[in-house]
Amino acid sequence: MEIHLSPIVGFFAGQGVPLETILLLLMLPIIATFIAFLRQVVGIKAFGIYTPLIVTFSFLATNGVKYGATIFLSVVIIGMLMRFALKPFRLLYLPRVAIMLTVVTIVILGILVLGGNARRTGLAHVSIFPILIMITIVEKFVAVQIEKGDKMAIRLALETLVISILGYYLASSKILLEFIASYPWTILFTIPINILLGKWTGLRLTEYFRFKEVIKKMP
Amino acid sequence: MFGFIKKSRKILGMDARNLIYIRPFNLKSAKKIADDKLLCKKILKKNGISVPKLIAKIKTYEELENFDWSTLPDSFALKPNRGLGGEGIIVVYGKKKPARNALLGNADENTPACWIKADGSLISIEDLKAHIRNILDGSFSLSNTPDTAFFEERIRLLKLFKPYSYKGIPDIRIIVFNKVPVMAMLRLPTEASKGKANLQQGAIGVGIDLATGTTTTAVLGKNKLIEYVPGTRMLLSGIKIPYWNDILNLAVKTQEISGLGYLGVDVAIDKEDGPIILELNARPGLSIQIANLAGLKERLERVSELKIKTAKKGIRVGMDLFGGEIEEELEEISGKKVIGTVEKVKLIGKDEREIESEARIDTGAYSSSIDAELAKELGFQKTLEEFSKIDLAAYEISHEKENEIKKVFMEKYKKIIPEIEDVAVVISSSGSSIRPTIKINFILDKITIASKVNVIDRGNLKYPILIGRSDLKKFLIEIK
Repeated sequence: MEIHLSPIVGFFAGQGVPLETILLLLMLPIIATFIAFLRQVVGIKAFGIYTPLIVTFSFLATNGVKYGATIFLSVVIIGMLMRFALKPFRLLYLPRVAIMLTVVTIVILGILVLGGNARRTGLAHVSIFPILIMITIVEKFVAVQIEKGDKMAIRLALETLVISILGYYLASSKILLEFIASYPWTILFTIPINILLGKWTGLRLTEYFRFKEVIKKMP
Repeated sequence: MFGFIKKSRKILGMDARNLIYIRPFNLKSAKKIADDKLLCKKILKKNGISVPKLIAKIKTYEELENFDWSTLPDSFALKPNRGLGGEGIIVVYGKKKPARNALLGNADENTPACWIKADGSLISIEDLKAHIRNILDGSFSLSNTPDTAFFEERIRLLKLFKPYSYKGIPDIRIIVFNKVPVMAMLRLPTEASKGKANLQQGAIGVGIDLATGTTTTAVLGKNKLIEYVPGTRMLLSGIKIPYWNDILNLAVKTQEISGLGYLGVDVAIDKEDGPIILELNARPGLSIQIANLAGLKERLERVSELKIKTAKKGIRVGMDLFGGEIEEELEEISGKKVIGTVEKVKLIGKDEREIESEARIDTGAYSSSIDAELAKELGFQKTLEEFSKIDLAAYEISHEKENEIKKVFMEKYKKIIPEIEDVAVVISSSGSSIRPTIKINFILDKITIASKVNVIDRGNLKYPILIGRSDLKKFLIEIK
């Protein structure tokens, strides 16, 4: 990749920090701001900020969004099915999540084997950490399921997936990468942007839809 | 388009609610009261606010094992202290007495009692224990922290609400800000919400006019605007909520006591004890705006600068600002009640039999008429039976002969047909008929009217009752 590095990025790289790591780290505040914007102004909730952020990064590390999304969806579907399967046993929280993790692990292993079998080497060669991250989504999913119900949990999971995919394309866009490499200081601009977002009191985009009828019928 | 955006500024969104109202006005210490039902109950009770009476609480497994089940009354509600959205609540309506066995000295100890739930199913002490264990483990509390279970007295459903609610108890959510009640809605449990008065789960939210306590528009679940209780002909608007002033007073006082500046108060009405505070909510939802078809933000802004000293003043401000005064004013001037073209009417038949249904208000008709089925239900089965035996074809119907027909008919049949008051000769474009007339009372907008109504099969018409102008002398009709 032929990019112009800013002196500071060059200095970091010279100290032995891999360039890819530097760029990923620099990208983090941008993605975080992006997620905050989606929540506050657009109204996409997802599982907070941390979950979509790490899912985005695990997508970045799983050689493409295709495999990452597959694993993510399998995790959510299994989480859903297991809730019904485990309901009659009336188990306490942690053992229940542990059972779910076990099943999720086995299924993901199965997916990887299938992928390898079908010569989808990309899938089988996904590194272990992103997979572990995906598996931990189960806990988040179960927690939301209990607190807010199945529908909400599925909705938030899908929203997380959408945000992560958008984040993935944002973070892997060449223009943005080059820009960050050339002007790393610009990430500081995310702070005033977030201060503005933190003071946002307008309606979210989704709320215009939610209150459409009210707004129309108001005098 | 510009109008849309301009009007949308009146709506309170999630971000504005959190930043402008919850954060500065609901301090952490005050929020504790809202999230802890037992604490809330204690504080409110100490300040003379009526709350459902606490029967017992269970904090640990040990207390559960040692609990004396015979101390429980026949009906009660079992709740988790920090439950969310009505989850984990069990309500029982009666005790099933253990079968008495003369051979065993004390049957009670051997065959423990069972309680009956809303759907008629039985729940044993063992079931209750299992449920309480779940509560103690935190299955229903925020982020699964261990919780306390408690029993409280069951609220008895008000007769007025019976036809509108499915199983559970309806409640009234009132948003109070700066001692002013700013918006209110009646929440009706439905089958979809499994008897819970929670909009997120599919309950009905009905907007309330703050000045009069009368319901206005309604929303089903999160977003669907409706006029009737689904699957019925029960109109949701125009329900007059009893004890309205007391309810507002309770809500405002509760806000003062709780220290929550921006508060959602949930009030239920007990059949005998009247209004009672069910729960406080430090983060009240925004759907109330859909139920009322009105914006909260605009209302909050209007009261935020006011200096309100007493609850009384706050209520007056709320009623004046957020109540539709037009109807009341008209009623004051004319001394007549203003009603719409469709109104709810309570018919009172024989032996005080009561039927509530909707009526078409029609000044084009002279007298009122009701559906034959209704008349039967009101106790006039015999009258209709005898009437149907008469061959009406013998009468030639015309305007000129109206009085003659009446006279001849009544002379001939008055003794034979019980309870018949008169006959009505109805001549209309859709066909002429002779109908039996009976004497009943009905209540329309709180006014009792003694009427003679004629009976006809109205099965194919939208409303089973038609009120004609002879019964409408005390009303003005507003055409919408």
